[in-house]
Amino acid sequence: MTDQELFAFKRADDSASEHISAPKYSYWQSVFRKFFSSKTAIVMLVIALTVVLIAFIQPILSGYDPMETPNINNPSMRFIRPNGEFWFGTDDKGNSLFDAVWAGTRNSLIVSFSATIITQILGVTVGMFWGFSKRFDAIMIQIYNVLANIPMTLVAMIMMYVLGSGMPQLIFALSVTSWISTAYFIRVQVMIIRDREYNLASRCLGTPTVKIITHNIFPYLISVIMTSISRDVPSFISYEVFLSFIGVGLSQAHASLGRMIQTYSSYMTSAPYLFWIPVFISAFISVSLYIVGQTLADASDPRTHMV
Amino acid sequence: MANDNKEVLLSVKNLEITFYNNKKRFRAVKNANFDIYKGETFALVGESGSGKTTIGRAIIRLNPTSDGEILFKGKKINGKISHEEERSIVRNIQMIFQDPAASLNERATIDYCVSEGLYNFHLYKDEAEREAKVDKALESVGLLPEHKSRYPHEFSGGQRQRIGIARAMIMEPEFIIADEPISALDVSIRAQVLNLMNKFKTERGLTYMFIAHDLSVVRYFSDRIAVIHKGRIVEIAPTDILFKYPLHPYTHSLLQAVPMPDPRIEKSKELVIYDESKRDLSGEKPILQEIRPGHFVFANDREMKEYEAKLQEWEKEEN
Repeated sequence: MTDQELFAFKRADDSASEHISAPKYSYWQSVFRKFFSSKTAIVMLVIALTVVLIAFIQPILSGYDPMETPNINNPSMRFIRPNGEFWFGTDDKGNSLFDAVWAGTRNSLIVSFSATIITQILGVTVGMFWGFSKRFDAIMIQIYNVLANIPMTLVAMIMMYVLGSGMPQLIFALSVTSWISTAYFIRVQVMIIRDREYNLASRCLGTPTVKIITHNIFPYLISVIMTSISRDVPSFISYEVFLSFIGVGLSQAHASLGRMIQTYSSYMTSAPYLFWIPVFISAFISVSLYIVGQTLADASDPRTHMV
Repeated sequence: MANDNKEVLLSVKNLEITFYNNKKRFRAVKNANFDIYKGETFALVGESGSGKTTIGRAIIRLNPTSDGEILFKGKKINGKISHEEERSIVRNIQMIFQDPAASLNERATIDYCVSEGLYNFHLYKDEAEREAKVDKALESVGLLPEHKSRYPHEFSGGQRQRIGIARAMIMEPEFIIADEPISALDVSIRAQVLNLMNKFKTERGLTYMFIAHDLSVVRYFSDRIAVIHKGRIVEIAPTDILFKYPLHPYTHSLLQAVPMPDPRIEKSKELVIYDESKRDLSGEKPILQEIRPGHFVFANDREMKEYEAKLQEWEKEEN
């Protein structure tokens, strides 16, 4: 064979060196892959989903209403210990605790989810502009300084006294007292990334401020907002339980975990299951939602996506 | 270089930039004066903190100016101007940033990063035209259209800087401020980025303002150089003149700091560190004066005489 047959000229292809061989990166796909790599998170997610599903389906089937007490005059129906028929037993009025607990859980969840959504939407929107605009910051920081020094639990309690008990009032009282701390939290986060160079670059390309906030700042805050949500949901549940416990939460007409814990605390020795079951359910929801939320918050931080 | 027949694109007159920190005042740029001609590469050289980036950012309106004027094609572009004028500046003046890792939005795809300017000015008829423009821009910097769906962190430093260049080029600007575009890059890919910038210059007749501290790069890349020290421009001259006849002592020490690829010269080289306090600053206040056509130096009358003598001596040696 001659040299010409053995060696042939080959052109160098510059574009070949530009090729990225790593598989395509997708943000949300990586978030879920990271989330489902944690076994605790999966277990907690299953618990949380089960609790939420039961809480929203069971009350529809049972049609539980705390104002209806058909068995109140039948002493044999009262204080039945948990058994095959009444899984969680019956209370002092002869109602099934199983029905009462799930109706209460549903109300607690509705209150907590609604308050979280309102708080987050309000807090994140205000916080974004608060962190971005120096002029708005000068006014807002004074308002915050005043409001931050008022004990919010007290404000919520007084509000419930003034507005009267009820679910919309409770949601209102919870969101009104907590949005500003969320806004403040977001403000600090925005300030950290506001002056980064890629925002200057966007400004050089003529990007308006609103678009910089939605396209440049907001995506960076997803994990921070997730953390904030995962803290808010359980804290609102315990907040509701606390307010109902001291008697200013939901009215008698609404089943509520807090009210149940309050009423049944007097039976702690004679019929302890009446007290402990609602307490455990409340703890279960809080812990499972918190862990799910925290894992999701961690997973939504792209720094954890490295393989 | 005769500058009279050249069109002035950007003109900076008596520019002052002051930063305030509570009550403290800091004059970052003091009385800066220079013209940039159409089609040239004008380099602004100085040490860190000398105010070169500040001037660049003032031109593109990221930093507010406290006094003086910046004229682009004869129109004032600093201070308060109308919204339309501001938008036309964005169209015509673009910037290439120093750190390619920090200047790209990490949560956006390359498609969005490159077409951000197109979206803002709606520089496309339909989605297909926008995509075609992005593809062309990526191709012109040597990247592949398949990179559009990728995120910035998947690219190398050089690739990222080329994305930054594509993003600026897609706006079809006339004037580009390159703020140390290669100092954050690996030495092996610096030439690639510089050659790319030179390619665009010849293809599109661009004008560059090149901010740098690396004189060897500036010598290769620019037509004229302004040396800035502590917010004050001390010397402006065409590149070859500046390297041949560095008049101001600061320019002299700056040029001396460039390493020579010759161990014998390098070993015997005596470094002069510029120290303002050791200089004879007597006489009246110095100003930027033209000593030869196109060669400006910051001096008072007494220093001018010294420089003139030095210059004549050098010119005699030449002949």
